[in-house]
Amino acid sequence: MNVLEIKNLTKKFGDFIAVDNMSLTVAEGEIFGFLGANGAGKSTTINMIAGLLRSNDGTISILGKNNAKQSRFAKMNIGMVPQDIAIYEDMTAYENVKFFAGLYGLRGAELNERVVEALEFVGLQDKHKSYPKSFSGGMKRRLNIACAIAHRPKLIIMDEPTVGIDPQSRNYILTSVRKLNEMGCTIIYTSHYMEEVEEICSKIAIIDHGKIIAEGTKEQLKSIITNTKDVWIEVKTTEKVNLAAIQDINGVEAVSVDENFIKINSDTGVNNLNKILEHFMNSHIEIRSLQEKAPNLETVFLTLTGRNLRDQ
Amino acid sequence: MKDILWLIQNTLSVTFRKKKNIVMYLCMPLVGIIIALLAYGGNQGTTLNVGIVNHDNSEITTDTIQFLEGLDNVEISKIAAKDMKDKMTSGKLDTVITFEKGYSDSVLKGQPDHIQLTSIKGAAITGYVKSYLYQFIDNLSTISRAADGNEQTFKQLYSAYQQKDFKLGTHSLENAARSKNMTNQTIGFLIMIMMLSAANMSEIILLEKENRTYFRLLSTPINARKYLLANVIVNMIIMTMQVLITLTVMKTIFHIGLNVSFVDAFFVMLLFSFIAVGLSLLMIAFSNSRSAASALQNLIITPTVMLSGCYWPVEVMPKGLQKIADFLPQRWALDTLTQLQEGQSFSSLYLNYAILFAFAAAFFLIAVYKFSRNNSTQNFV
Ligand SMILES: Nc1ncnc2c1ncn2[C@@H]1O[C@H](COP(=O)(O)OP(=O)(O)OP(=O)(O)O)[C@@H](O)[C@H]1O
Ligand SMILES: [Mg+2]
Repeated sequence: MNVLEIKNLTKKFGDFIAVDNMSLTVAEGEIFGFLGANGAGKSTTINMIAGLLRSNDGTISILGKNNAKQSRFAKMNIGMVPQDIAIYEDMTAYENVKFFAGLYGLRGAELNERVVEALEFVGLQDKHKSYPKSFSGGMKRRLNIACAIAHRPKLIIMDEPTVGIDPQSRNYILTSVRKLNEMGCTIIYTSHYMEEVEEICSKIAIIDHGKIIAEGTKEQLKSIITNTKDVWIEVKTTEKVNLAAIQDINGVEAVSVDENFIKINSDTGVNNLNKILEHFMNSHIEIRSLQEKAPNLETVFLTLTGRNLRDQ
Repeated sequence: MKDILWLIQNTLSVTFRKKKNIVMYLCMPLVGIIIALLAYGGNQGTTLNVGIVNHDNSEITTDTIQFLEGLDNVEISKIAAKDMKDKMTSGKLDTVITFEKGYSDSVLKGQPDHIQLTSIKGAAITGYVKSYLYQFIDNLSTISRAADGNEQTFKQLYSAYQQKDFKLGTHSLENAARSKNMTNQTIGFLIMIMMLSAANMSEIILLEKENRTYFRLLSTPINARKYLLANVIVNMIIMTMQVLITLTVMKTIFHIGLNVSFVDAFFVMLLFSFIAVGLSLLMIAFSNSRSAASALQNLIITPTVMLSGCYWPVEVMPKGLQKIADFLPQRWALDTLTQLQEGQSFSSLYLNYAILFAFAAAFFLIAVYKFSRNNSTQNFV
């Protein structure tokens, strides 16, 4: 059975269309990645799935049941990790998890067991008596996750769970996402970090302006753009590089600058490497290294949306 | 229901684990008692000096004066009309009662008149002489109406009355006035604390929205309605505790006579706590941040508490302000208690209860309407 089915979902804020006639299916056992730039509509979609936001049109089914009509059933089966950390500063880590788990009807010994389990899961068992005031950003993020998993939901929705945290916490979180998945949870994971999504997600939807513009496994997505390749040229200084001139070279699809690298995306069918190098020679730009890259998700994203994932 | 209880339990335990909150919610109401003791406690045993100007030498007048002399803690002195002003301004007399010619005739006719009570002190001081005196005169005129002009019958009825009912009314006047003042002061302060605590507890809703925990709660089986209900119940629990603590401590530790049964007083204050919660929700519904809510609370609570006579008797305020006070729920709560103290039966005050209830209902309805509108514009379920 499909854990999540979205049909023709639309959400407007005034005249602004945040989610535009979106349809999507997430099968059981998947780690489903939502990839999209700022404002693409990821959180809006997720909030509607979790029953926090009302849609203007379309339906959402959780485990085959409409989430508006059977909201209690839907909510009982979802664990929501919100993008903004939502925990109580005046309650200990243990009490936070216990409080939220209790809202799902757990009590007594079972409740205690689940709380301990959730805290262990995110590596906060040693800190269970501490107040979040004393936590680092990463620890708060982990507690934020623990509060959503203690009731063992079938579907866990994580909205950018790794924003602004240390590498140790990030690893902990990624490992626990995989573990949760192995235990049978279906997971929806949104992130700005391409590498993360590429690393853990079994299926990915690329969202832009409230629409899904591509969907599939990593391999399927990459195959969309196998007719191009990436050439990275490292130069001493990028000052003298004329991007427009490179763009004009036959077969070049896109050019961008990343620190000292000139990243050129180019048609595989055209042999233009000589032309490109000629440009650097003629402008007297010192080349330090040259590498050819297989396409990755970043290039897929860039090619499909025409923009970078971050910093816009 | 199970989840609402869980929410309530959690809010209570988090609230009362902080010492600050215990002081604020459970100890502060008692401060009113201490203020009352400081303000009125010293009054015990002092006597009220009443001057009598008598222009109507008759049996009824003499009896009336005798009645006044019989009251505890009242010192009667007969004075000449011309000395009245001097003696009062110099503080030798608290109040002067003037019997004009025709007083006793008017009483005998059943339409008492020609009596004047003059004072430069507040109604708090004279109120009780007045109420006892008027009660006495009322009784006389009732008797005379019953006698229907027949002097013989009147004399019979009157002497019977003197022997029987008369002594009943003369329990310590000063004590009654004092305890009324102290009750007013204590309950007035309690009303203020209740309103402040209710405002504080409702503000948790805004705090949770700012902390985002509110939205997380809505992703659990809790919905906005259950959340609001839990908040209201916690609020009511805290206020009920405040009322119980205050009334109990007043009665058992400080022996301040309420002159009202515990249950009646509790009922009136319970009605008021609904008003306090309703109003606090209303203020939250119209604020979109905690700072806005605090500003609104300061703007509303303190002035209305002052105007409605929680700090001082309304009688000392100008007439215009007293009119405004009639539109304030705090005034109605205090007034209901005062009427009970003055001997009105509990059931005769149903109009007062209805008005108190109407205040609460109106506040709740507007708040809930506004909340649902807020939610629909923000598109939250
Ligand atoms: N309550 C709201 N009222 C008006 N506009 C909103 C509201 N919530 C979101 N939006 C708009 O909807 C669009 C999508 O927002 P959303 O939060 O879903 O993006 P996102 O993909 O999660 O972005 P980010 O990566 O920054 O979290 C944005 O342009 C945002 O400004
Ligand atoms: Mg987002």
